[in-house]
Amino acid sequence: MSTAANTPASRVIVIGTGLAGLVAANRLASGGADVTLLTKGIGGLQLGQGTIDVLGYAPDRVTNPLLSLMALASARAEHPYATIGAAPVHTGLDYLKRLLPDLLVGDPEANYQLPTAVGAIRPTCLAQPSMVAGHLSDGAKVAIVGLRRLKDFYPRLVAENLSRTTLPDGGRVSARPFSVDVPARDGEVDSTGLTYARAFDDPGFRSRFVAAVKPLLEPDEIVGLPAVLGIKDTSAWRDLAEKLGHPVFEIPLPPPSVPGMRLNEALTEKARAAGVRIVNGSRAISARVEDGVVRGITMATAGAPHEYTADEFVLATGGFESGALTLDSYGNVTETLFGLPLAGLDDGPLLHGDYWGSEQPLFKVGVRVGPDMRVVDAAGAVVHPNLYAAGGIIGGSSRWGEKSGDGIALGSAIQAADSILALTPSAPGPVGGSTPEEIS
Amino acid sequence: MRKLAVDVVVIGGGSTGAGVVRDVAMRGYSTVLLDRADLGQGTTGRFHGLLHSGGRYVVSDPLSATECAQENAILSRIQASAIETTGGYFVTGPDDDPAFADKFLEGAAKTGVPAREISVAEALRNEPRLNPRILRAIEVEDGSVDGWQLVWGAANSAKAYGAQILTYHKVTRIDTADGHVTAVHATDLKAGEDVVIDCTFVLNCAGPWAGQIAGMAGAHPVDVVPGRGIMIAMNHRLVNRVINRCIYPADGDILVPVHTVSIIGTTDVKVDDPDDLKIEHSEVQEMLDAGEVIIPGFRKARALHAWAGARPLIKDKRVSSSDTRHMSRGMAVIDHTERDGLDGMLTIGGGKLTTYRLMAEHIVDAMCDKLGEKRACRTADEALPGSESGKNYVVTHRLEDREHDRLDDQIICECELMSRKMFTDALANQPKGTFDDLRRQLRLGMGPCQGGFCSTRATGIALDSDHIDIERATGLLRLFLKNRWIGLWPILYGEQVRQTALDNWIFQGTLDVEHLPAPESEVAL
Repeated sequence: MSTAANTPASRVIVIGTGLAGLVAANRLASGGADVTLLTKGIGGLQLGQGTIDVLGYAPDRVTNPLLSLMALASARAEHPYATIGAAPVHTGLDYLKRLLPDLLVGDPEANYQLPTAVGAIRPTCLAQPSMVAGHLSDGAKVAIVGLRRLKDFYPRLVAENLSRTTLPDGGRVSARPFSVDVPARDGEVDSTGLTYARAFDDPGFRSRFVAAVKPLLEPDEIVGLPAVLGIKDTSAWRDLAEKLGHPVFEIPLPPPSVPGMRLNEALTEKARAAGVRIVNGSRAISARVEDGVVRGITMATAGAPHEYTADEFVLATGGFESGALTLDSYGNVTETLFGLPLAGLDDGPLLHGDYWGSEQPLFKVGVRVGPDMRVVDAAGAVVHPNLYAAGGIIGGSSRWGEKSGDGIALGSAIQAADSILALTPSAPGPVGGSTPEEIS
Repeated sequence: MRKLAVDVVVIGGGSTGAGVVRDVAMRGYSTVLLDRADLGQGTTGRFHGLLHSGGRYVVSDPLSATECAQENAILSRIQASAIETTGGYFVTGPDDDPAFADKFLEGAAKTGVPAREISVAEALRNEPRLNPRILRAIEVEDGSVDGWQLVWGAANSAKAYGAQILTYHKVTRIDTADGHVTAVHATDLKAGEDVVIDCTFVLNCAGPWAGQIAGMAGAHPVDVVPGRGIMIAMNHRLVNRVINRCIYPADGDILVPVHTVSIIGTTDVKVDDPDDLKIEHSEVQEMLDAGEVIIPGFRKARALHAWAGARPLIKDKRVSSSDTRHMSRGMAVIDHTERDGLDGMLTIGGGKLTTYRLMAEHIVDAMCDKLGEKRACRTADEALPGSESGKNYVVTHRLEDREHDRLDDQIICECELMSRKMFTDALANQPKGTFDDLRRQLRLGMGPCQGGFCSTRATGIALDSDHIDIERATGLLRLFLKNRWIGLWPILYGEQVRQTALDNWIFQGTLDVEHLPAPESEVAL
């Protein structure tokens, strides 16, 4: 096995490149830390909707996410928000908005209510500017426009469900569907969202699309489109809106999520620019712990396993969806990298047969953290003095049902990063003397 | 109320009923088949997909063995498109008695079941995942069969001979007059309409539900003892041949490659109610342990889905001894004339899928005797619709099809390579079908993602088809996800947990499906 000899030790290693890992790495690097980000792939952002949720349902629909977060935190001690608190989430939202001003807008105290690709109305806190015209008000006239060669967006399904839904603020919209046939690539009838997103980067394609859609629009219509309006060109949607002469909004699709990929690419670029070393393409397979202290992480790199060492470690590996947690055929749940103690295993069966019933307890399993985001055991004792956790690996929430996963990732990443940065108050930042909040 | 009049009403749309209605129609009788659900939904579609070579019975039940061998050859010919001639091995596990293989070979020779001992090395070369510690291996002519295609093939053949196939028609009453069956009442569950069918004969092929049907005609209680068996579909074909343990038939001793998966089965537990079939945790564990004996590391393979079926065993003391000439082994014909003083009805129980055609022949022969007519059975002579070319199913056939249409059509279910046209064609045939009805014919949602990507597409396309409105479309999506989960959660571990997490992320996280307008009542069929 290779050793640290050929890999310079980092101050901090972050494992995982979803929202939690990328925010932690950016925050740490902009705070002056030397950071290495280890990841198997491109992370979880492209699996989600490409907005930043804080809290959508608690269990009723949430309009003020930060306020509802505080209520939830005081009511449910086992929920990660009870440990994280509102402040790091608020800090994180401001941090993200300043880091990605072209990609994220919104108010921590007011959720957007945005249509989904089945026509439900979904609450979220920060959204991409290309989506926010989808926050509809009473009497709105909406045209949902599909692309015939894109199989993950059915405008009639969206429009007819929207039309029979009472808006969260009361009132109704009238939505009508239609589809156009504008090929992303000639001769291809089964184009992915990503293929269309690349096509929308091209102004020529946008003009062809406008030529097909514009004559079919009626006055005052807001135009809902699949979220494929450009991947590199983050203002493609604006150009479309101008050319159509109508407001447009993007509706996120199942993975791969183009809006999620935009966030991933932008945060990765920011991390690189801030000096984060990114090691992508290999799985973290084991951890070396000596006297309780984490010393290194071994990656299954090509040729031979390779160990990366650091002083502090942030575990941002996600949950079952990434393989960070596993359930074997005998019913044992394991955190695969460190074998960490897990919460949520002692409250009865992990699964039940009612799909539309309560959240499956299995998906609430995860590690426990203390206020500084270090991993703790059931008694609250720190497991390893230099191991922090952020994001989906933290147990106790129904991330997907509550629409809380991004907020938990964001808040825990900010808190973990700031806890680590606080260990070395004298560390120089890239901009002399600035606090992390002031750097973007 | 609708009124129909036919010679024969066949009750039950499993393999027995479908085989019977085809035979009845081919002999020139007018006939209607009734099932309270979809074809092959009750028992036939809930088995492991094994087309027996007869090997399983060469020691325990020689007559069955011979029948299986003969029927295997016939079905592989007349229903070629539903059957993959995989071949099979009987292997002696490390702790199994090697002497059983000698009894096996002796029994095979006596019963006419083709069987040949091969070296362990040859078996391992052909099936590299097999336990290298097996002691002996015998090659047989097992195959795998798609139960739904088999049943629909028979039903479509019957239709071509003028039969009517009425699915989702629940029998509610059977009228008799002067000791003779005169009519069957049913409710069309999808249309909410009553149907009365005047008839001269009823063939009760309701399997585990046969007792309930016989009771409606006023017959003495028929003692049906449903035997529950569970099956688990493992992702991929861990083997390309059917692998049987070379032991006296027991639980978990068969692994069958069917389509893109391998199915391990099965258990046998007596249950009271064939409508209440649980997948017990202990039985799942038993199957996984049994899998380890055949394929080391079986527990680490990805389990996709589990289900339970009820064997239609009839243990009836009143089965007439004079009926034995009409009895296939494991099959019982109840003659209600002798038993209950009721003419015009026969009840059939037991039997197995491999011999379904032969069972139908026996039953319809018995009916012809009762009617005093001689009409010859021709079901073995004619290929069924879709199998005229005689080409057996191969697992790569959809890949070949998609190579031909990939530039013209979309793939709606990537796991099972189902095209958009396949879906819209099936929907046009069954515009009132649920996605599960379509799934049984298309394998929609049966692959690794278990509906994660295709179910929303199916919903959108079904709505675009104009057959259904938005409320039903949304309800069908809810129903499909609920039903997929029934077979998922009992075997949820390993990589399938990861898939489920992704699916939950999609449906709850991204689509917020659970906050669509609440249905007034859930779609059930």
